Amino acid sequence: MYGRRGRAVGASVATVLALVLAGCGNSSNGSSTGAASTPKQGGTLKLLGASDVDHLDTVSAYYTTSYTLERAFTRQLFSYPATADVSKAINPVADVATVIPTTANGGISADGKTYTIHLRSGVRWNTQPARAVTAGDFVRGLQRLCNPVSPVGAPGYYTNTIVGMQQFCDGFAKVPGNAKAMADYIDSHQISGVTAPNDTTIVFKLMKPASDFLNILALPFASAAPVEYLRYVPDDATFRQHTLSDGPYEITKYSANKEIDLDRNSAWEQTADPIRHQYVDQIQIVQGQTDPGTVQQQIQAGTADMEWDTVVPTANIPALRASNDSRLGIFPALSTNPFLIFNFQSPNNSGALKKLQVRQALEYAIDKVAIGQIYGGPDLNTPLDQVIPPGNVGYQPFNLYPTPDHRGDPAKCKQMLAQAGYPNGLKLNYVYRNAGNHPAVTQSVQADLKKCGVTVKLIPQTPADFYGKYLTNPSGARQGLWDIAAPGWVPDWYGNNGRAIVEPLFDGRTYGPNSVDYGDYNSSEVNSLIDRALSEATADKAAPLWHQADMQIMKDAAFIPFQTQKTAIYHSSRVQNTIFFPFSQNYDLTQVWLQ
Amino acid sequence: MTAQLGAVADTPAAESAGLPTPIAGRGQLALAWSRLRKDRMALLAGTVILLLVAIALAAPLIAQVTGHQPDEQFRQTGLTSAGLPVGPSREFWFGTDNLGRDVFIRVVYGARISLLVGVLSTILAVAAGLVIGLAAGYLGGAVDSTLARFMDLVLSFPLLLFAIALVSVVGPSVPLAILVIAFFSWAAVGRIVRGLALSIKEREYIEAARALGAGNRRIMLIEVLPNLVAPVIVYTTLLIPIAIVFEATLSFLGLGVLPPTPSWGNMLSDSLQYYQVAWWFVLFPGLALLLTTLAFNLFGDSVRDALHPSTTHLAGTR
Repeated sequence: MYGRRGRAVGASVATVLALVLAGCGNSSNGSSTGAASTPKQGGTLKLLGASDVDHLDTVSAYYTTSYTLERAFTRQLFSYPATADVSKAINPVADVATVIPTTANGGISADGKTYTIHLRSGVRWNTQPARAVTAGDFVRGLQRLCNPVSPVGAPGYYTNTIVGMQQFCDGFAKVPGNAKAMADYIDSHQISGVTAPNDTTIVFKLMKPASDFLNILALPFASAAPVEYLRYVPDDATFRQHTLSDGPYEITKYSANKEIDLDRNSAWEQTADPIRHQYVDQIQIVQGQTDPGTVQQQIQAGTADMEWDTVVPTANIPALRASNDSRLGIFPALSTNPFLIFNFQSPNNSGALKKLQVRQALEYAIDKVAIGQIYGGPDLNTPLDQVIPPGNVGYQPFNLYPTPDHRGDPAKCKQMLAQAGYPNGLKLNYVYRNAGNHPAVTQSVQADLKKCGVTVKLIPQTPADFYGKYLTNPSGARQGLWDIAAPGWVPDWYGNNGRAIVEPLFDGRTYGPNSVDYGDYNSSEVNSLIDRALSEATADKAAPLWHQADMQIMKDAAFIPFQTQKTAIYHSSRVQNTIFFPFSQNYDLTQVWLQ
Repeated sequence: MTAQLGAVADTPAAESAGLPTPIAGRGQLALAWSRLRKDRMALLAGTVILLLVAIALAAPLIAQVTGHQPDEQFRQTGLTSAGLPVGPSREFWFGTDNLGRDVFIRVVYGARISLLVGVLSTILAVAAGLVIGLAAGYLGGAVDSTLARFMDLVLSFPLLLFAIALVSVVGPSVPLAILVIAFFSWAAVGRIVRGLALSIKEREYIEAARALGAGNRRIMLIEVLPNLVAPVIVYTTLLIPIAIVFEATLSFLGLGVLPPTPSWGNMLSDSLQYYQVAWWFVLFPGLALLLTTLAFNLFGDSVRDALHPSTTHLAGTR
């Protein structure tokens, strides 16, 4: 349930702030792995961008930019390797855990419901004196997830898998929001399915087998939390001045909306960290530059090294590509962004959007190439005709509503609308975000629909209201405040992630306030396929089921996919060993060094 | 304003036509008109304004000639495959924008919005300013202190912040833009009118009228109001360009005209991302805006000079 506030927002943050121009050609262009030279220590890495993290506490931090930062100062039981090979980059490896648990090594029980994980030694907090990270710290990290003040944005990953998590959270929700009361609750209550028999062992009991449980533990939400964190209200201003680190860098300065500085963490040891490195001395993140064009110019001039939350402006990409600028990196985003959703609840046009034939007609209307042009053209964007984008479990390409060159087929749309009983077209309310590329996308879709006889009334909103007042507000949906909208989605993890794409977006049983099944699509076939896929023991067994769900959703024309994008980012010429980290949509700060 | 101008321009002889004999004393406005006619800058600026009005009125005809509608997207010919606008050519005289639309025809249609909003909001502002300023200045006392403080209040409002807040609550639209602009412009007119009314009401002829038994309403309408016409005309011509720029600002911020309707302000806003690769996209709407405000400002200056030949810079400061 990675919600709208979630990594999806990572995308929309950039969007808001200017433009997600995501996209990009192929990862071979750009050459940004730049691993030729030998590692060099020292220097200050400068990142420049628009705005602050959403949260600094691992419990609630959900933006892709927050992940960029968390990669440097937090650690998880499992995490993802830094590698240019996408097929490897999306599979979890051991981080603080000693090995990946399997049934063969005894880490996973035969019934797939018990995970026993051992912690490696040498992992320490930057306390005075430095103190070992224990199994209890990881238990505490999970307990803090459902605190009543700043809870995790995607509780479902944990409450739907771990035994007793839901009960623990239900009780926690009733606790007053002060540090003392929350600490008392955590000290006196346990999540029955999470135990720490000793300081280096943690045992999870699951409600049913979950082939994606390691992915769930690899989310930064499941980071270790030191006992000191219980002194603070999660993520409040005091907390933000007192973060502790078990990663290679520690936060030495946090100034909201202005600057975040990190320094080497002397308690961290390379031998105890199989993933991260500590090459640069300092990392400086400067915020307040909301124009991506200016950020781009500064990096090109060398006064900044990397983007923080902006991407290369679409307009700049052709020239950079033409000059074979090796500082430009273009990486697959493995996401579906944006796409068009229908409000199944809308009473407008006498409930036309409830009719399968109407939605199927509209599937033919969209010129997907034109949408791609808004995001930088075919080098950066590939038309998508299904729910699951490439790089994610269950992906098998298919297209139920083909149009010539993906350019749209207004005649077919019009004819099908007439057959459905709407020869004079429809009038649809189209709510959109008044920021970034969204107005352009909206006008492109509006022009496409007009050719098919559909009149669109535009309703511009701020990104916050777009979700808060419209998409996640069932009473507004029932009144017909909106009929169509184009949100985007960046899954919380890639690979085995049906739980992070199909389930949140299309499981009709979750519909309600804040649901991301925005339009209330609800199909009993799809719901049962989701249940079956989630309880399969391995991703390979789940894949055909996810594909069937994908097929059913497209048969039902529940939404209109547009495209899958690539991300274009840029670094200064002194930055070396730039390895793209797909989860944060940026380079991995713990891998780069400065020439 | 424009209608009056048009009528005058159509009949250059109007100056003398309404007068009984050539020798008779000429009215204040007639004198001003003759001065205005001798002002070259005024003629030039007036011609530009008339041209703009003509273009705005003829926009659908011009669209027919070019064969391009303002919201028509030429995705194959008007965009590179990477989605960049294409430059000026025989097909697209001013190039295209980021959705492959013809910048020329959008600039032409943008003139409609600019003039509509500029003129309508100014008329509203002047009307409100006249009524409230006159009432405050002439009636005095509690009415004056209430209305004058209200005007001070409006003048001290952070207008852009207020406009942004209001539009985000109500939602952007052209009528709202007109109202917002009028609301922030009337108080300046009101203050000037109030000051003039204050001084006029002390004149002897007002006292004479009162002695003859004239009521307040009659004195305000018949005795005071005609004396305010000249300064108000000056102020009107100077308010129009301010209103046009204000509309462009609102549209630039996404708070004015809804897309895909073209307005110079939202064209400029769209073009920002592209100024490095598509100069035409930012240049032409920018030029149109500059030319229009310049023409109105110069014309307003000339009108002021014509009406008050001795006091060159009275109403210019704001």
